[in-house]
Amino acid sequence: MNDILLQLGKNPQARRLVKTLGLPLPIPQALARAKGPMEERPLHDYEIAVGGYAGAGESALIEVLAKTLTQAGATPLVVGDAHIPPAFLAHGDAWGRPPRGLLLDALPDKLRLDAMVFDATQITDAAGLRSLYEFFHPLVRSLRKCGRVVLLARPPGLARSPEVAGAQAAIEGFCRSLGKELGKAGTTANVLFVEESAEPLVPGPLRFLLSKRSAFISGQPLHVSTRTLDDEGLAAFEPAFVRSLEGKVALVTGAARGIGRATAKLLADEGAHVVCLDRPADDELLSAIALEIGGTPLLADVSDPETPALIAKTLREDHGGVDIVVHNAGITRDKTLARMSPEHWDQVFSINLNAIARITDALIADDGPLLDDGRVIVLSSIAGVAGNLGQTNYAATKAGVIGYVRRLADELDGRGVTVNAIAPGFIETRLTAAIPVMIREVGRRLSSLGQGGLPRDIGDAITFLATPGSQGLTGNVLRVCGQSFVGS
Amino acid sequence: MPVSKQDQPKQRAVIVSGVRTPFVKAFAEYLPLDTIALGGAAVSALLKRTELPRRELDSIVWGGVILPSAAPNVGREIALDLGLPPSVEAMTCTRACASGLQAITLAVAAIERGEADVVIAGGSDSTSNAELKIPQKLVRALGPMMMGPNKGKATPRDMLGVLSQLMPITEIMPRIPRIVERTTGELMGESAEKMAVRNEISRQAQDEFAARSHHRAAEAIASGRFRDEIAPVETPSGKWVHQDTIVRGDTSVEKLAKLRPVFSKTGSLTAGNSSSLTDGAAAVLLMSEAKAKALGYTPLARFASWSYVGCDPADQLLMGPALAMPQALARAGYELSDMELVDMHEAFAAQVLSVLSMLASTNFANARLGRDKAVGEIDPAILNVHGGSVALGHPFGATGARMVTTVANELHSTGKAFALLGVCAAGGLGAAAVLENAGL
Repeated sequence: MNDILLQLGKNPQARRLVKTLGLPLPIPQALARAKGPMEERPLHDYEIAVGGYAGAGESALIEVLAKTLTQAGATPLVVGDAHIPPAFLAHGDAWGRPPRGLLLDALPDKLRLDAMVFDATQITDAAGLRSLYEFFHPLVRSLRKCGRVVLLARPPGLARSPEVAGAQAAIEGFCRSLGKELGKAGTTANVLFVEESAEPLVPGPLRFLLSKRSAFISGQPLHVSTRTLDDEGLAAFEPAFVRSLEGKVALVTGAARGIGRATAKLLADEGAHVVCLDRPADDELLSAIALEIGGTPLLADVSDPETPALIAKTLREDHGGVDIVVHNAGITRDKTLARMSPEHWDQVFSINLNAIARITDALIADDGPLLDDGRVIVLSSIAGVAGNLGQTNYAATKAGVIGYVRRLADELDGRGVTVNAIAPGFIETRLTAAIPVMIREVGRRLSSLGQGGLPRDIGDAITFLATPGSQGLTGNVLRVCGQSFVGS
Repeated sequence: MPVSKQDQPKQRAVIVSGVRTPFVKAFAEYLPLDTIALGGAAVSALLKRTELPRRELDSIVWGGVILPSAAPNVGREIALDLGLPPSVEAMTCTRACASGLQAITLAVAAIERGEADVVIAGGSDSTSNAELKIPQKLVRALGPMMMGPNKGKATPRDMLGVLSQLMPITEIMPRIPRIVERTTGELMGESAEKMAVRNEISRQAQDEFAARSHHRAAEAIASGRFRDEIAPVETPSGKWVHQDTIVRGDTSVEKLAKLRPVFSKTGSLTAGNSSSLTDGAAAVLLMSEAKAKALGYTPLARFASWSYVGCDPADQLLMGPALAMPQALARAGYELSDMELVDMHEAFAAQVLSVLSMLASTNFANARLGRDKAVGEIDPAILNVHGGSVALGHPFGATGARMVTTVANELHSTGKAFALLGVCAAGGLGAAAVLENAGL
């Protein structure tokens, strides 16, 4: 559990010593994480450089970007030739965050940026991509520790020409590399691929990626689409950001410890009533967490054939339905394939994949308890993306989850339900504490942020996906891995 | 309940008169007078000037911010000190800098609900007599030994334990009170400094506003405009205080521009464009319309509506009036353009100017008030016509009653119909009220 290098890095003297001695120790930056429930202004007093508006045509995102930043408490520093788009002036006026112009050839001394946002949606060709260099090159050194970079782009798959698709796809490669360069300082870089007309759905993901709640997410693309909303719903879309889960019911499987426990707490912090599910053997732990967060414990083995019906009945009859389903329960039974027993193969499949499908079936059936505009969030794993030695069974189920989620998203988007997968990287839990020291060290360090994540990091991502603000995200696989070098 | 055109109460409350003590810088002439004594001076002057038969008085509603811990119900202490009939009941309320206005609207509500016919409402504060606070740390360390269940049985070992808890000694020294926002730890001036930056209020604009406030207040004093509103106070040493002591009629934008910023080295708030710590009291006589008629008083003004709001202290601490003033107008069924007078409490010139820019902003109206159009611009000619807190000073609890008195008199003497009041307060609170001329 204890990350010695991280502890060492928190001590300024030790940090200086390591530096002067030139020791080859990759001391990671301690990440700034959020405390307490979601805030009205997660970006309070941030100074954020905004780029992409020099010379180019009007981007459809200006309005939403200006509003989101100023409303969330940030002051936009708009880069360009003294021309600040009117949207920034208007929203800055409304929220008391007047924008400032930033001239790249005459940067102020002591410029310190909390984040950088670049609207790349106007880029249509290779020549246009030079604006990335022009914006980031002079500014990137001014970014504070644990800073944030967010790029806004259009999905290449929907581009009107191959050239445009190439230009937009290039942005992802740029972002991933930037994430690797900035990770040492605890900084993250991510891309939002925003479909045409999905602009009203941008505020939630943008606030999340710029806030401290995305501390362990880097190098990731997220697709924002209008799939789950009709025109009317889109026009009226005005999500709450604070205590946004009040009146909602959430089911979290595997809630007794680790990621499930952290998630249950965070969901409750936002106002949800959480039904905490775990094995009967974990009665004590489960009851404790349910009591702590004012939730309801539900003891059941997810692999038991009776369980899906029991869950559906409990949620329907005792709670009037369920809004948020978090499939977190999972096990590992690691052995190389040649040595693996058939029982180990079966157990992993039964819990990590079968149970999810059967429980979901029971929840989404015609008389099932899943409510409209609900959320289904399934835990995958970096092993499911990249594969892992000794985990043929586990990796297969976690890759299976990804396929399952993508297809289920198609099935449920008509009901306003979003379905997403979260793929954790190296997280400091009971599971990873059992890994041999050397392998554990490799797992921790081989990522841009150079450290393991905490259960809370996954919980923060799940909680964000559970909120109304994430309505534009469905069918996504969000890796929360500190930009692990594996499988990227 | 605020009064609206649609929902008229059975009887209306009217403002009949108001009197205040001269406002004096803290730790000066009023040092020997605590908030009860100052309040008593204002209330007794009001009773004397109005010649109100004491038996007619139903109650006193008082506002205060720094309340004496031994006698926090200042209103009742005033009634007892002045020898008013014991039946004159009293309460004391606190809503930071809006306490005085709060006391008055509570009195209006009581009269309009028929609970009382004649009420004196107002407020007072003596920053000079703020009790030095014994730090919690000292109380928690020594309290159990001296007053707990095992008192008197402390061993030398316990004593040593307590001593070790009290180190370092600087943490247990009594501290002089400062206006610090409890949740954010910011001095109010620091919050106002941030507002100046965020609303792009220049030093020049603040100094111009402050100079105008001083000039108008000085003119009002010179012309005798405040003669009916201010009652001289005799201090225990026999010295009389006749006039406000903070107003500087000879100040100018140039002089103010020379002052150094006080809350931040690079800031724009100075002692000259901020209100200062002040001692003083103000009281207003309110009664039902019928009672005023029966007793032969001339009603000056009525409350058409009021509004109290809250916003996040960590955002823009003193923006409350920008939310409360439109709400009070809406409740009364008026627009800002209907108002012929506007009186705003000037905690800081920067704070008033920030609120004015919010009221004038269409973007602010869209995003924060759900209105299509801006609330409107306020003509400087009708704003704080006789100066404000920057010039006159700001005894926290008294300011509301000072504003109500000046505005009620102004409506009556000029024949203007409507006036709007706005007050900002610590804790991210805002207050506003619409007054209407009772003679029209």
